[in-house]
Amino acid sequence: MDVWRRSVAAGRRALASPWLRPLNDADALDDLLALANPLWSVRARRARVLWVVDETPDARTFVLRPNRRWEGFVAGQHVCMAIEIDGVRHERAYSLSSCPGEPTIAVTVKRQPGGRVSNFLHDAVRPGHVLGLSRASGRFIVPTPAPSRLLLLSAGSGITPVMSILRDLHARRCSTDVILVHSCRSPQDAIFHDELASLTRKWPALRLALVFTAETGRLDRERLARLVPDWAARTTFLCGPAAFMDMVRGMWREAGAEGRLCWESFAGPVPTGGPAALAAATVTCVRSGAVFAAAADRPLLVEAERSGLRPRHGCRMGICHTCLCRKVSGTVENLMTGAVSSAPNTMIQLCICAARSDLTLAL
Amino acid sequence: MTSTALPLPRSAAQAIAAELDRLRAEIAADLGAPDATHIRRMIRVARLSALAGRTLLMLGVDPLTWGVGVTALATAKILENMEIGHNVMHGQYDWMNDPALCSQTYEWDNVCDGEQWRHSHNVVHHTHTNILGRDRDVGYGFLRVSDAQPWRPHHLFQPAASVLLALLFEWGVGLHDLELDEWLRGRRSSAEVGARLTPFLRKAARQVFKDYVLFPALALGNAPRVLVGNLAANLVRNVWAYVVIFCGHFPDGARTYTVEETRGETRGDWYVRQILGSCNIEGGAVLHVLSGHLSHQIEHHLFPDLPAHRYPEIAPRVRALCARYGLPYNTGTLWGQFATVVRRLVRLALPVAPRPAFA
Repeated sequence: MDVWRRSVAAGRRALASPWLRPLNDADALDDLLALANPLWSVRARRARVLWVVDETPDARTFVLRPNRRWEGFVAGQHVCMAIEIDGVRHERAYSLSSCPGEPTIAVTVKRQPGGRVSNFLHDAVRPGHVLGLSRASGRFIVPTPAPSRLLLLSAGSGITPVMSILRDLHARRCSTDVILVHSCRSPQDAIFHDELASLTRKWPALRLALVFTAETGRLDRERLARLVPDWAARTTFLCGPAAFMDMVRGMWREAGAEGRLCWESFAGPVPTGGPAALAAATVTCVRSGAVFAAAADRPLLVEAERSGLRPRHGCRMGICHTCLCRKVSGTVENLMTGAVSSAPNTMIQLCICAARSDLTLAL
Repeated sequence: MTSTALPLPRSAAQAIAAELDRLRAEIAADLGAPDATHIRRMIRVARLSALAGRTLLMLGVDPLTWGVGVTALATAKILENMEIGHNVMHGQYDWMNDPALCSQTYEWDNVCDGEQWRHSHNVVHHTHTNILGRDRDVGYGFLRVSDAQPWRPHHLFQPAASVLLALLFEWGVGLHDLELDEWLRGRRSSAEVGARLTPFLRKAARQVFKDYVLFPALALGNAPRVLVGNLAANLVRNVWAYVVIFCGHFPDGARTYTVEETRGETRGDWYVRQILGSCNIEGGAVLHVLSGHLSHQIEHHLFPDLPAHRYPEIAPRVRALCARYGLPYNTGTLWGQFATVVRRLVRLALPVAPRPAFA
């Protein structure tokens, strides 16, 4: 069996050998396949939008049918979707809100003010649209066997991975005692409101507490402790905006219950304003492990060299693209054009870009 | 080449820089879906043309399908090298964030290694354009193309060498970054050349295998037909690329510079050097696409990382700017420009005295 597996792996490697180009050019084969069906691909994960569901005025669920390259996911994980907007490929991470094991998957996207991708998804993506997917990833996963007592804490769009977890636990007929505390502005803004109500009817072990901040104010420590008296003893999953997460994490830390808290954050570093506001940004290089400080008024290439690194470069004036580097996360400003880029996983020219926030680079 | 001195006043150079920077920013901000569609369409055309060509060569038995097959394959290679490869590797489509079109990882259908091309072309040629002693594209290390270059006995053979270079152009391009001429002159060590030899040999070996072993082998009985067909397609691409590229900087009127002249060069001076050192070719849309828009060499040298199919759109504005500042805008028909190149190569093969002012 092992010999067979190794032979298959060796065969696959041989087929991918550069000596066999262009016969094994995956992009060329995909191009050919796309003439028949844009979902088909030799190695890329893709999905077609089947239908959309308007959960609230600004949150929409996209039900997708992935192609055969999709390996599935575990409840609570997220996926990086690749969408082309006006010729540019954008990548954004979204939690999968559907139950694993079904032929379709779903992501629920909330419209972000000024957000390029979320607004495009809401305004321009219709059934039939094909987009790219990454492998599912994330550790926001309920352990197996499931703990006896579970607390799910979410706010706003943080309910998306929590919903996947709930649907999965219900489908598996888990005997876990589950409490969900979800905070949002008003009943109209409660994503999955109807489904949650019907779940509580079908699932006696699930208790639901919805907090509407417009009526009763923000969820604070006292209120949370009143809603869930045994909060410190429950395995807890937390997802929501930064302020909400900070409050909960602080509460758990003080009680020494950090080990039972699993959390997931979406928001990247927020640009701190113009060059004057930022003294120096911390730049982390994922490949070399190096970390250096970058001043706001000097190009990243110069700052990297000052810290002892030797990134590839050429003309040092923005024309040859030799210093092209992937910005994994963070915000930079193009000193030549003034364009500011906050999108994750974009290519930038180090010789003409300066940091506007803490950065992670593929250097 | 003309040695018209153009001591541009500081204010003029600054104004030119500001205007061209604004033009660049305007086009860069306008890039979008139509540009993405263009490059993807070019890629699809090149791929289908290659597929058709190789299939006709592999499955046909008569000279007609051989001829059509070679034409299709040569067109595919020309498109892939010039409109697609050269332009993608310049970073013209990096803004799309598509890994298949990333300048730093793209490999083209040519014996020249992508990394070595990016170094010798994007970095060296485009930064030091037409500076004698810095830009190795001025004569490629063995041809005398400027009166400012001293005559050497080996230049007597340059007409014949040029014909050979035309037929084997991709090999000339492939060996270019090894700087063998510098090594022969003792200015590069054997170790330095050795380090660059490996990537070149690896790429060359794979290209030779692909066109002269793999595809012929797949054709079984038709192997000789496919082998000769692939050779012919490569030759056609070589000669066409040679003609287009030699018309880029060698026609009469293009200016060369010395290192001293460019010391302390400002951004505006850099722009002017790109204009005065480059030459355009006039023609229709087909010529522009088949030349990878190197027919707009001037616009390409001003904005090497803007998508080349935009050059015809900005050419009138560049031409108007040149008129306003009294700069020459060198353009002509393909045969007109190439004829001056041929005359120049022949004339400079001989140890004649340098021509005055206008060549």
